[in-house]
Amino acid sequence: MKIFFRLGLLAAVAALGCWLWTVLFPSPEKAVLKKVSALAETATFSADASSLTRAGKASSMVSLFANDAEIVLDIAGVVTRTLSGREEIREVTLGGFVNLPSLKAEFLDATAKISADKKSAEVSCTAKLQAGSQKDFGVQELRFRFKLVENNWLITRLETVKTLQ
Amino acid sequence: MSATNDNPPPWIQVLLIGRHPRHTLIRIAVLVVICFVTFKFILLPVRIAGISMEPTYRNHQIHCVNRLAYRRHEPQRGDVVSVRFAGESVMLMKRIIALPGESVSFHNGHAYINGELLDEPYLKNDCDWNHEPIACGPGQYYIVGDNRSMPFELHTQGRAGRERIFGKLFL
Repeated sequence: MKIFFRLGLLAAVAALGCWLWTVLFPSPEKAVLKKVSALAETATFSADASSLTRAGKASSMVSLFANDAEIVLDIAGVVTRTLSGREEIREVTLGGFVNLPSLKAEFLDATAKISADKKSAEVSCTAKLQAGSQKDFGVQELRFRFKLVENNWLITRLETVKTLQ
Repeated sequence: MSATNDNPPPWIQVLLIGRHPRHTLIRIAVLVVICFVTFKFILLPVRIAGISMEPTYRNHQIHCVNRLAYRRHEPQRGDVVSVRFAGESVMLMKRIIALPGESVSFHNGHAYINGELLDEPYLKNDCDWNHEPIACGPGQYYIVGDNRSMPFELHTQGRAGRERIFGKLFL
């Protein structure tokens, strides 16, 4: 009986160790997907969020991008625009966050592909955006490119993907 | 000669796990396995959000998509299909009106395939769309909703690659 107890305890400790290892040293895929989740979190704010909160969120969001990052938006009939560099992204994000009554952003079905040298990554996901109190939501497929800068994954490019041609 | 216990089980037991608990557990296990296999590998339950397929499929209705519909044959004209974005969480639900290699155009609200009028008995709303021919390349299907009462530009439609067609609406 004692041996079974010891074996069980050993298995539990091993499982805990494995879990701790993945928490402390996440795989590149997990680290990149965590950044995508962080982006969704910072892009979400409620109607009662103050201007200061919104500015803080916009600033946090921009910090996820590299200095030379690009956002390429090409949604037929809605917007065709390219934002280049952190400053332009910050201005547009701040303007959007202040003018929108509220925003709920979700990035669904995110999958990451890490390059062979493990210094860049590509993430595909579906963005679900709900602005204000509208029940309708917008859906857009997105592609992110990340690069590893001083052990930190930063977005270098965010572009819309045309689901239908 | 066999002995039988004529005392009926307590009503609460009958209500919760039946007269034969072992049989009930087996039934539950079988049901769980069937549900798991069905909804994991065969059918995908979906809730419609939007009016683009009205009146055929209404907003907030729940339906199922058959994942295996196109394992043996390719999608057909008239099929209502789900078209995936990056995954299975959110999908477009539209009707195929043109197949690979065909061109689709709209004149006074009527769809024409390779210049021939397409019979669409499922359309119930008035439509005034006009659009030049759009050619579907190899592996591309033209998908559009049944509710064409809104302007052409505001209706999500277009050519979907075969790899994006996830399944056919089943129920």
